[in-house]
Amino acid sequence: MNNGYRILNRIVEINIANVKYADIELNGNTCFVGANNYGKTSLQRAILFFYSANSRALGISSSQKPFEEHYFRYDNSYIIYEVATETTPFFVMVYRHNKLVFRFVDSEYRPEFFFNENNEALKFREVLVNLDKQGIFYSNQIDTFERYRNILYGTETDPKLNKFFLLRGNEKYQNIPKSITNVFLSSKNSIDSRFIKDFIASAISNESDVIVLENIERQLRQFSEKYQDIETFLKKETQQLIELAEQKYDQVQLLRTAQLENAEKLGSTLRYADTQHKILFTAIQEKDQKIQQLKDEFEALKYSLEEKQKDLREQIGYYDGMLRTAQRKLDLYKEKNIDEILEKYQEKQQLESRLQVLQKEYDTLTADVQNIEVQYQSLLNNIRNEIQAVTNKINAEITEIVNHYNELILLQKEEQSKRESELKQQLQSAIASIDNDINEKQIELGQLKSEEKIASSIQPYDKEIKQLELEITELKTKIYTGKSEMAIQQSKVEALQKEWQNIEKQLQQKFEHLTQTIQQQIEQLKKEINQIDEKLNIQENAFYGFLEKNIPNWHLSFGKILNEDILFKNDLNPQLINPNDNTIFGVQIDLDKLQIVSKSIEQYQTEKIEKLNKIKELENLFLQEQQNIQNEKLLNADKYGKQIAEIKEDIKVTQYAIELAEKKERKLLIELEEWKTKAAKETDASLQSIREKIAMIEEELSILRKRKKITETEFETQIQNAIARAQQQIQHLKQQQQKEIEQLEVQRKNTIKELKEKEESLIAEKQNIFQNKGVDNKRIQEIQKQISQLQEQLNELQQYQSLISDYLKDKRDLFDNIPIYKQKKEELVTENKNIIQELEEENKKYNLQRLEISKQKKELEDALYQFNQGILFFENNFKETPVYKHYSSIIENAEPKPSNYNITDLCTQLLKNESYFNEEYTHFQRYINEFAGKFRIDNHFGFVINHNASFQEYEKFAQNLRNFINENRIDVSITETTALATMIIDSIAIKVKELSGQKEKIYHIVELLAADFKKAEFEESKLIEYIKIRLEESDNKIYKLLKKIQEFRDEHGIVFNEGLFNTNSATPKKSISLQIIRLLDQLRSAIKEQEQQEIRLQDLFELKFNIKEGLNETGWTHRIDSIGSTGTDILVKAIIYITLLNVFIKESSVKTNKKFKVHCIIDEVGQISAHYLKELLRFAKSRDIVMINGLPNKSGLESHYKYTYQFKKEDDGTVRIFPSIVTEVEV
Amino acid sequence: MNTEDLELPRQTHEIFNILARGQFISSNGTKDGMSRLYDVLNDPQNFEKLQSYFSVLRYKIERGNNYFYFSKVNEPPSITEKKLETFEKYIDIIDLFASLDNKITIGARVRPSEIAEECNANVRLKQKLAKIPLYRSENFLNKIREICQMLDRDSFFELEDEASETYKVLDAYGYLLEVINAITIFGQPPSPEHTITNPPDIDIDINPN
Repeated sequence: MNNGYRILNRIVEINIANVKYADIELNGNTCFVGANNYGKTSLQRAILFFYSANSRALGISSSQKPFEEHYFRYDNSYIIYEVATETTPFFVMVYRHNKLVFRFVDSEYRPEFFFNENNEALKFREVLVNLDKQGIFYSNQIDTFERYRNILYGTETDPKLNKFFLLRGNEKYQNIPKSITNVFLSSKNSIDSRFIKDFIASAISNESDVIVLENIERQLRQFSEKYQDIETFLKKETQQLIELAEQKYDQVQLLRTAQLENAEKLGSTLRYADTQHKILFTAIQEKDQKIQQLKDEFEALKYSLEEKQKDLREQIGYYDGMLRTAQRKLDLYKEKNIDEILEKYQEKQQLESRLQVLQKEYDTLTADVQNIEVQYQSLLNNIRNEIQAVTNKINAEITEIVNHYNELILLQKEEQSKRESELKQQLQSAIASIDNDINEKQIELGQLKSEEKIASSIQPYDKEIKQLELEITELKTKIYTGKSEMAIQQSKVEALQKEWQNIEKQLQQKFEHLTQTIQQQIEQLKKEINQIDEKLNIQENAFYGFLEKNIPNWHLSFGKILNEDILFKNDLNPQLINPNDNTIFGVQIDLDKLQIVSKSIEQYQTEKIEKLNKIKELENLFLQEQQNIQNEKLLNADKYGKQIAEIKEDIKVTQYAIELAEKKERKLLIELEEWKTKAAKETDASLQSIREKIAMIEEELSILRKRKKITETEFETQIQNAIARAQQQIQHLKQQQQKEIEQLEVQRKNTIKELKEKEESLIAEKQNIFQNKGVDNKRIQEIQKQISQLQEQLNELQQYQSLISDYLKDKRDLFDNIPIYKQKKEELVTENKNIIQELEEENKKYNLQRLEISKQKKELEDALYQFNQGILFFENNFKETPVYKHYSSIIENAEPKPSNYNITDLCTQLLKNESYFNEEYTHFQRYINEFAGKFRIDNHFGFVINHNASFQEYEKFAQNLRNFINENRIDVSITETTALATMIIDSIAIKVKELSGQKEKIYHIVELLAADFKKAEFEESKLIEYIKIRLEESDNKIYKLLKKIQEFRDEHGIVFNEGLFNTNSATPKKSISLQIIRLLDQLRSAIKEQEQQEIRLQDLFELKFNIKEGLNETGWTHRIDSIGSTGTDILVKAIIYITLLNVFIKESSVKTNKKFKVHCIIDEVGQISAHYLKELLRFAKSRDIVMINGLPNKSGLESHYKYTYQFKKEDDGTVRIFPSIVTEVEV
Repeated sequence: MNTEDLELPRQTHEIFNILARGQFISSNGTKDGMSRLYDVLNDPQNFEKLQSYFSVLRYKIERGNNYFYFSKVNEPPSITEKKLETFEKYIDIIDLFASLDNKITIGARVRPSEIAEECNANVRLKQKLAKIPLYRSENFLNKIREICQMLDRDSFFELEDEASETYKVLDAYGYLLEVINAITIFGQPPSPEHTITNPPDIDIDINPN
């Protein structure tokens, strides 16, 4: 069959729905006549399926069975579409093999392919066997609707299949099936520009060409909420609240920790106090006993030493007395010139010997005159005896006087000595008493001084002070370490921030570079597409179009030597003179040697599609890259933000630790100072009393010494006075003695003078006698003189006899022992001194020990007192308070530990702190509530706190807030929100662009429609004067806003990175950001208000009609309720549909020399008049459109169709479709 | 005066509608973009413009701690008296709220059921609640509900979540506290802790508008 055009020639249904077999020819206007529910629409759907190959766009409602199930009930259900071509027809068989599949068969339809001899439909494999048997080419199974359409609409690249086309579609070929479908589906609707809009839009757009507002609204809501949250967070007041809450949190934490520590301390101290009570009491008693024992021991030792000292003193006194006696005697002897006397006494023997010699000589000389001598001697002796007697007598008297006076003097001296001794004794006793006092005082002083020394050497609270100093040193080290750590961490943060910034910068640069590259590529591709479009647009009127129309396969021949410039020139005026001439201006060349350089329309189309795809790919790549970069940014934000936040948290922790350490250091320094002051005070206090005592004793000592001196002086004076008095008396006695002795001496002198004169007269008488008798008188006188001298001397010596004997006795007894006495005394004094020293040392030792034990005892007593007082205070003033209840578990479960803490102080501190804590906690709670209250209840930061929240919950909230700030999560949130905004805007911009991109197509289509309406030949019938159509700007509020956003995006690009949350309104980007935020806000409100689900292509423009029918003109309007009668309405509607279809087919197909016709399926046209129908069919025919209509019954209208089929329901429920015998009247 | 001449913010009408009803605009309010309106008012330039604009209508914008309200210039004493009477009911309410264990503070999110539960468990609170007049409901929960609704109506509270019946205490609640703290009972010296540095002028500002 050769129609000269391609058309769906026939549809054959085998076991389809309730039709067993139907063979319907469609190569001309066709009409289906049948009552409702007889299967007219089903058949029309089956025809529509040929064009659309979309089982879901056939107008089958969801309540009905799907197309596949309803139509293809059996294994041998087939729909066969036979397509007439310029040469032999081919057919498409559709059957169900799990799903619907297609096969193109290069043959006209013949029933024997599908039926056996028994007229039973074969299964598809048997059909294929049949085809194989006959050597008919058939395609592989086509599994997808898309592939089927590609083949049918001539865009298939497989050379085996590219002949099975109905028409050559371009990249918009999808509009053809869509248009046919839309006409079929909307034919029942009234005429509304919205419908036309929908028709155009749905024809040129696909399902994905919509902006789903629900998604945008959701994203906008998310963004708006996040934006609001961030804005609230960044507000000055919120930041102030954070600061306040943080401060209070620290305070509360500090207080809480302090309270817990104090409770723990209190518990430990209480437990310890319980355990220590008995121990302390026993220890105190032990100390008492020890002190007593020490005292006893010391007293015993002291007593024994003092006894020893007493003995020694007695001995010293003895030796001292001996020495004094010896000295006194020595002085006495010295007074008596004992040395001289002794010297003289040594000559006594010599004198006595000389006297004897002289006596003998005298006797010898006087032997002759012995009588006379005897006589005279006796006389002389008498005189001499008398002299002697006188001398003796006077001497005796003198001696007596001397003795008497000596005795008196001695008495006097003894008395004086006695007095002196008494005085000295008195003095000694007084001095001894004073000395004793002094000694005692000195011992006491010594003790005090050693006490002072001990006291000054013992530093009270030494342990505490040392402990504190150690702690302070540790804290200082900690602070120093912390500060250096902080500096390191700070530098780490800076390094990380720098690294982050660099990476961000690199990413930005990379992105910008990529954007630029992609933009350039897209621009290039667009340019190329424009060039192709230009070629395609002008090709019809250009040399190319001429060749296409007039020279078959020119590409293989003539085309090989033509370049594109020549091909697309439209001013060449080509003329076909000799089509069979194979020469070029008479020259023939072997064209087989040349490559084909020209491209077919399809190739251009394909190239264009490829380029469009490439643009899409590039755009996708751009979006992908944008997303990747965004992701990378988020990852970086996450990575670096987290790291920085962690380090910042560490810094904060370190800082906090430093602050705490500094705080503690300050506290400890104060404590140390207090301890030192306390220690100094206590030392001062103890030293003060000792020093006072020392001063008192020293004063007493000085008084005693003074008194001693005074006493000594007084006694000295008394002694001196006594001595003076005694000396006076002795002098007086001596004077008296002298006087008496002088008197006696005078008496003796006188007596002796008389006797001497007598003697001399006797001697002279005698000498005369001797002379007379011849005796040597001279010699005798001389001897006598010598004897006399010697006797005198001996006499003198005789008087010293007793003194010398006394002296010698004394010397022997006393004087010779003086060194021994002295030595002994010294030894004793030394020994005494040693004892004193020993005593002193023992005393000191005792005092020290006593002091030490007393101190220990006092400490124990103090501790016991403190414990008792503390426990009492705890029981009376603490246990009943809520504070105790609050911390009872800690207090009661604490381990007993020795501590320096005072229970009362701890209780007081706990009570005081608790009230302070409550105050601070109330503030803390208030700030947290106020802070959380600033945010929405479901804010994305999770800043929500229950009104009845516990302390732990508030604490957790504050900790989370702190972590949030430390980890700089706000930046992450800002980045996310910014990314969200960017994504929303980008997505809106892309979608709007995509949709707006279709707008031009709409303009184009509408222009074509308008032109087609204009071309319509209504003049003949005069029924419709004109149908005008025009486009207006969309008044869709949402679209307008979307468009504004897209324009904004195009104008400003991505503006948020720096400005979205920049609090500085002066920042230029801030105002831009505010504009876009306002736009987003408005869009959100508009979406809410309008309750629109999506923005489709039809929302982008407004379409208005102006139709004049007879005298009726509708004016420019959206909706034409009724132009005239129903028939008129149907006509107008059908005309519009046909126009639309025509325009879309033209637009979506490639103009080639291969002609084709398509069907316009409008179901119900029953109310149209024959006249109108004729008009309509003519209108369609002029546009290469074949009508398929449904009629409820035969009314004569069917006579205007080439084919009429009737539907009849058989008894078995099957429908029989058979041709009605009518004649086509006129088309 | 032309509004355009003043370059008034576009929210002026909205602001006026709220404030002229005697309500407050709090910074932590979320409904009807209240926080945005607060931001608009809080902008010094806007504030000046609006102040001079509203002064023509004999209204004065008063600024509290994170909230705004209207006061009327030269208000007759009779109206002030009436306002005082209206305010009287708040005294008992604030007293009750202040006596709760979990005190109601600005920003807190409260539920009538929780407050009622606490009142139910505490005799003192029960008495205080019973003392509050004006409410029809005898049931504690309903009474508290009525109180919350009243505070919501007067823009001291905001019903944030209907499902859980959660109210948020708005910044304007501070106004109630300030006024109550500023009240001095004759014969008693003012308590130092209740003396605020700049107490609202009771004669004029006892209640907005």
